[in-house]
Amino acid sequence: MSELQILMYVAYAFLFVGTGYRAYRMARMPVHLRWDLYPIPHEKGRGHYGGSYFEEVDWWTKPAEVSVRSELREVAKEILFIQSMYHNNRSLWACSFPFHFGLYALIVFVFLIFLGAFLDLVGISVSAEGNLLGRSLYYVTAPLGLFGSVLVTLGAAGLLVSRVARVDLRRTSVRSDYFNLILLLAVSVSGIVAWGADDLSYSQSRLFIARLISLQPAEPVSAAFATHLVLAAVFMIYLPFTHMTHFVGKYFTYHKVRWEDSPNVRGSVLEKRINEALGYTVTWAAPHIKTGGTWAEAATEESTKK
Amino acid sequence: MSKGKRVTIKDFCTKSGQLVELDTTQFPPLPAPYDELDLVPKIKPLSQEVKDRLESDLDGVSAVKFPRPETEEEKRELVGRFLSGLKKLFERENNWGFMQPLFLTIEYCAKCQTCASACPIYNESGEQDIYRPTYRSDILRRLYKKYVKQGGKILVKISGDDIEASWLMIARVLELSYRCTVCRRCAQTCPIGVDNGLVTRELRKIFSQEMGVTIEQLHQKGSVQQLEKGSSTGMTPVAFLDNIEFLEDEVEERTGMKFKWPMDKAGADVLLIHNAGEYLAWPENPEAFAIILEKAGISYTLSSELLGYDSVNYGVWYDDVQFAKVALKHAQIAKDLGVKKIVLGECGHAHKALTVIADRVFSGDYNIPRESSLTLLRDIVTSGKLKLDPARNDDMTTTLHDPCNIVRLMGIVEPQREILRAVSNHFREMTPHGVHNYCCGGGSGFAITANTNFPDWRTVVSSRAKLRQILDVFSDVIGPEHKKYVCAPCSNCKGAMRDMFAAYGLFERCNILYGGLVELVVNAMVDVEKPFLEWEFH
Repeated sequence: MSELQILMYVAYAFLFVGTGYRAYRMARMPVHLRWDLYPIPHEKGRGHYGGSYFEEVDWWTKPAEVSVRSELREVAKEILFIQSMYHNNRSLWACSFPFHFGLYALIVFVFLIFLGAFLDLVGISVSAEGNLLGRSLYYVTAPLGLFGSVLVTLGAAGLLVSRVARVDLRRTSVRSDYFNLILLLAVSVSGIVAWGADDLSYSQSRLFIARLISLQPAEPVSAAFATHLVLAAVFMIYLPFTHMTHFVGKYFTYHKVRWEDSPNVRGSVLEKRINEALGYTVTWAAPHIKTGGTWAEAATEESTKK
Repeated sequence: MSKGKRVTIKDFCTKSGQLVELDTTQFPPLPAPYDELDLVPKIKPLSQEVKDRLESDLDGVSAVKFPRPETEEEKRELVGRFLSGLKKLFERENNWGFMQPLFLTIEYCAKCQTCASACPIYNESGEQDIYRPTYRSDILRRLYKKYVKQGGKILVKISGDDIEASWLMIARVLELSYRCTVCRRCAQTCPIGVDNGLVTRELRKIFSQEMGVTIEQLHQKGSVQQLEKGSSTGMTPVAFLDNIEFLEDEVEERTGMKFKWPMDKAGADVLLIHNAGEYLAWPENPEAFAIILEKAGISYTLSSELLGYDSVNYGVWYDDVQFAKVALKHAQIAKDLGVKKIVLGECGHAHKALTVIADRVFSGDYNIPRESSLTLLRDIVTSGKLKLDPARNDDMTTTLHDPCNIVRLMGIVEPQREILRAVSNHFREMTPHGVHNYCCGGGSGFAITANTNFPDWRTVVSSRAKLRQILDVFSDVIGPEHKKYVCAPCSNCKGAMRDMFAAYGLFERCNILYGGLVELVVNAMVDVEKPFLEWEFH
């Protein structure tokens, strides 16, 4: 087992455990008070103008009409095209959009590399001479990898330049903001260099991953590829500790806060969670708060503090 | 971008003296006739005596009127209490109600500054750094990283987010937490869903819930007075009943309609609760409600119980405990009366507080259905129960202000428009409107905050975007020969508009009046002989 392989195992462990832990921690948060923000796209027939079920008299007697399709459409527009930034921060969007789109391409690319490595292991050759599946994968993977890398490089470079050149961004940036972009840039540029050096068909990458999957010692790799792997590993280890995991956060901010409009119905699971929270202990110290009791007590009993 | 004065977080924490001098001549110009700078009011500077006495080192304004601590020991104690509150803000048991949204905001902001384009205060103040939506969040985030997060003291040094908690900084944060109306336009534009408006409210909670520091009009004269006397206006149940008698007589005088307003009627379908400020400042609004509901034959009641006649819940702006206390009292009153539902009058924050946020405070038989009066009114207007002639409102051009709490934060957008279209032939929309509206400038308690020169700041800075919209929408009829009406179905919005209209002389100079929605409905009622709307500014 080479050091590079060990590093990659560690990196993947950090990436999946770290981001998984973030999601787990967020999902385990207590029920929060409603803090919805309109428009909410799943409001059937109303989402397009920002309306809600509160527009109906006796809304609680009527069935909740939810449009999953509208919500998914909105999610797709936001994830794929970052529409909120397009509408409100166009110059940064011009960098952010290619950057993120490139990342999506690279995620698919990495999946295809893993798939190719797996097929190679089970005897299906991923090459120009392989069967239809192997051949297709071979011809799709390389352009996709290059496409993603170039977009990420251009986007990250643009974001970095914006952060330096735009007064508002410069004023609000700290060391780590620049470091994040430089690291991403280093990963993508080193990827392009490694590809150009001696991995035009990404066969070296597939072989490396195949050995990783099958727990076999890796073949020696080029210096350019090794550099890229080290940088990618550093990024994967670093990522879970940063706000760049906002792909996790975004699910919760949209689906669990902004668009979370479930009413509290008597006897529901939600009501049970609320009752549990009302039993939590309050230790806020201000004079008007009854400290030491439960929230239910603090909300109904007067403080005796002076 | 960022034309305003640069104030780094380091300056904010360490530089002594007033950080920013607001100069209205540097603000983006207003439309005519207020492109003449002489017509634009200014923020009165605080006297040296007040500056020496009260914390005002942020921007020369003192919203909180917090006295400067006299000794180093006092300062140390205040810092200690602040940091203690900071920790509680991130504790499951102490802040379950907002923990998840807060963590998401603290952890995921990418500092893309997309939110800044949406903030009326940042933009209308000439892009002052300190008013940037991410500014106070950045401070809270740094404080969290250093003082709450494990290993934070080392991490902030590496990442470059280091911050030192000092009284100078905390005093500025206190004031800064009262420079955002929590309209949440910023959150609406955030690609990640981060909510900088929420941070404003959470910061206020540290001061209120841990240190007992807040604005007296919100707390002592607000929620505390409401819980003790029945209303934040100071109106007791006896005074309320007297007021109602007076209003019954006034309705008879104005319309010839003589009827008793239903009071404490057990088993009625609806408990109607107004913002009690309406009875005192805009009595024509509850009068119009009474007329409409009487004519439509709605089974409803008012309540003269302590808190039963005042829907306000100021806790929604600064304190979770006060919020829950008031909300539970409202639910208790409805429960005791045995009504089927609570309906809220034209008060935005009361809508949001009782209908939406409090939904996760109630359980069991306290969870009585609650809804907006706007939907009920829409159904009445479209049912044909009232004889309406929109031509009776033909002498004025009308526009609609969308209260943030009812529209962006609750999704009630169309009912008020359906009503307006039924009672006005000359209704036009502002730009932007609906869920993308601009705040009146009085949100999050600003409309009732009357300390030192803060009302000037509100009028000049936070209400400026709304003023711009009003001038724009009426630009072709801006002369005083045309009557114009800004329909604002919210007591706080009306309060902010009253001050803004007075400061700019909008009524005298442009003949623009503001008022509620139901007044227009009654004005269009064929059965009411005389015009109900009195064209005078108050």
